Amino acid sequence: MSLAVIGVSHHTAPVEIRERFAFAASEVGHVLACLRSEGDVREAVLLSTCNRTEIYLFPVAEPVNLSAPERILLGKAGLRGSEASSHLFRIRGHPVVRHLFEVTSGLDSMVTGEAEIQGQVKEAYETASGVALEPPIVGPVLNRLFQTALSVGGRVRHETGIGEGSASVASVAVELARKIFGTLRGKRVLILGAGATGELTVEALAREGVRGVIVANRTYDRAVQLSGRLDGRAVRFDQLEDALRESDIVVSSTAAPHVMLTREMVRSAFPDGPRRPLLIVDIALPRDVEPSVGDEPNVFLYNVDDLRKIVDEHVGVRRAAVPHARRIVNAGTEDFRSWYASLEVVPVIRTLREQAEVVRAEETSKLLRKLAHLPEEDRARVEEFTRSLLGKLLHDPTSLLRRSVDEETGGHLVEEVRSLYGLPGSEDRREDSSTRTGEGGDGE
Amino acid sequence: MPDGMFHFTALFLYALALTLWIRGLLTGARGRGQAVAPWIAVAAVLSHLSALTLFALEYRQLPLVGLGPALSSLALVLGLGLVATLSLREATRIGIVVVPLILVLQTVALVTGVDPTREPLDFQGIWFALHVTFAFLGYQGLALAFAAGLLYLVQFHELKSKRLGRVFRFIPPLATLDGLGRVSLWIGFGGLSIAIVLGWAWTLRYRGTFQVADPKTLWAVVSWTAVVVALLARRGGDRPGRTGALAAVLGFGVVVLFFLVLRLMAVENGLFL
Repeated sequence: MSLAVIGVSHHTAPVEIRERFAFAASEVGHVLACLRSEGDVREAVLLSTCNRTEIYLFPVAEPVNLSAPERILLGKAGLRGSEASSHLFRIRGHPVVRHLFEVTSGLDSMVTGEAEIQGQVKEAYETASGVALEPPIVGPVLNRLFQTALSVGGRVRHETGIGEGSASVASVAVELARKIFGTLRGKRVLILGAGATGELTVEALAREGVRGVIVANRTYDRAVQLSGRLDGRAVRFDQLEDALRESDIVVSSTAAPHVMLTREMVRSAFPDGPRRPLLIVDIALPRDVEPSVGDEPNVFLYNVDDLRKIVDEHVGVRRAAVPHARRIVNAGTEDFRSWYASLEVVPVIRTLREQAEVVRAEETSKLLRKLAHLPEEDRARVEEFTRSLLGKLLHDPTSLLRRSVDEETGGHLVEEVRSLYGLPGSEDRREDSSTRTGEGGDGE
Repeated sequence: MPDGMFHFTALFLYALALTLWIRGLLTGARGRGQAVAPWIAVAAVLSHLSALTLFALEYRQLPLVGLGPALSSLALVLGLGLVATLSLREATRIGIVVVPLILVLQTVALVTGVDPTREPLDFQGIWFALHVTFAFLGYQGLALAFAAGLLYLVQFHELKSKRLGRVFRFIPPLATLDGLGRVSLWIGFGGLSIAIVLGWAWTLRYRGTFQVADPKTLWAVVSWTAVVVALLARRGGDRPGRTGALAAVLGFGVVVLFFLVLRLMAVENGLFL
């Protein structure tokens, strides 16, 4: 199999290196066109996410030459030399299929089972498919590869618990908010302190459509700074109770060594208790919110340990789902391997039959010239006999070839049949077969 | 019973939808079954509707009189209420509570027989049909409020006890359940109020009395009171959502209990009560 992938991922490079390899969607067309013109690339897809940048390739001829894609990647990152090159990983042949399927299923993600990667792979595939190149840069092989990958990814998510539950503090907070408020559109968030995790959590909530962000910080200037970044409004700490009354969600992440939000403050803000639910996410250490605040009616208080426990439970469920997910990936890999092998076998069988038919027709014609006295009916019988004989003689070898598609050694058998019968080489045949597959069938 | 096939098909489809929802509860709403279950419930309601339409055409009588037809019609009205929650997406999962109610009503109806009444009825006609239809609408509101309230209480407990497991993932958001409970109670209030007024007006006109001691009247008044109490509970207290949910659950329990007591004490047989 002449597939290959080259790139960087969270396994091979830290974030400060990975971010240098990131391509914008607008650059993809240019990169793929360069690959086509500079390298011996027939088909290519570029996948660029925050955790990986990978170029999938199907070359014009074996062996796959990865120097052009490597040059493009290092050029993008502005890196040179062997150390830069050491951040890149390269996979060739069958393992490329398994790699892509594991990536799409979330098995290769930093957080096992994360959901975004399926959409990112789909987007990369669709973007490459839409690039105006002739012939298209996504041909029959990568088409099949990515469609199978998306189908395998979908199955893994539907049939296993790989994506079950949220696997980060921010996503648990969003999940909680959704289960309390339904939609987050129009909800208000109060953020206490200017911690990085708090900011991340508020950003995650903002993506769900919260209407307003109120920032309260001991240092007012920091509050103004953060509120500018989050498109919110800053309040002074002594206005906390007013801000509390306006809010549906509170995210607290100050670095204060003592409690910042007491039960008394909540009672003072809501003398009759909050009449609508109030979600308080306390991700500070030491805790910012007095634990007894959670005993107030309609208040749902979660501290960092609660959230971490939920995350750990979810991660445990996801880990338990990995063996099942791998079985689905294995089945998908095997299906693709069979399909790919059929690209080689089907043309060989057809050529074999065509060549044998030419010989049969010539020899039968010679024989019938010598038997010119035979009536038309008998001539037809001779013709029929030779056809039947040929069919029976070729039946076993062609069946064996078809079955070999499902075996690891299938490729060797195809080569042996080619050399035995003097059939054309693999490159000519695959090109022919790929073209036909693109026109309608899937190789059969 | 020409409508029998549709009745049993509906029963099977209701049971199938319930099975999928129970599976969703056990798996944390995972799998394609959760997307399919509401549509199976829709198919069940259509089959149920066909059965009762056939009944009406065959016997030239609305299926509102007699225990079997009345219970089956009430079950259908509950099914229609469930289908109406389709627009609220996850809210259809209240089917896990509503469908068992439908199954009980429909099974009792089929066991007692969905047959036309042979009693000479002096209360046929449009006013009677409207009275019963509004009453059923009222009970539908109360039943949906009960289902939403029950799930609200479970979800509230899961959130407070910080158990975000499969039950948490299956049950709809608190706000959705709260909204559904509120709207259902108002429907219940409207339906029962109109039904009681129509019933009293009718009895006054045709029998010259309010028939206050009639079991049906008593049950209607108890049901109306339960709805009003649940609505008032939502306005007071420091936790209106939770108090309202609790009041809806208790109110529904009282109404069902009262019905069973009245049924056991009822002298007349064959009618709804």
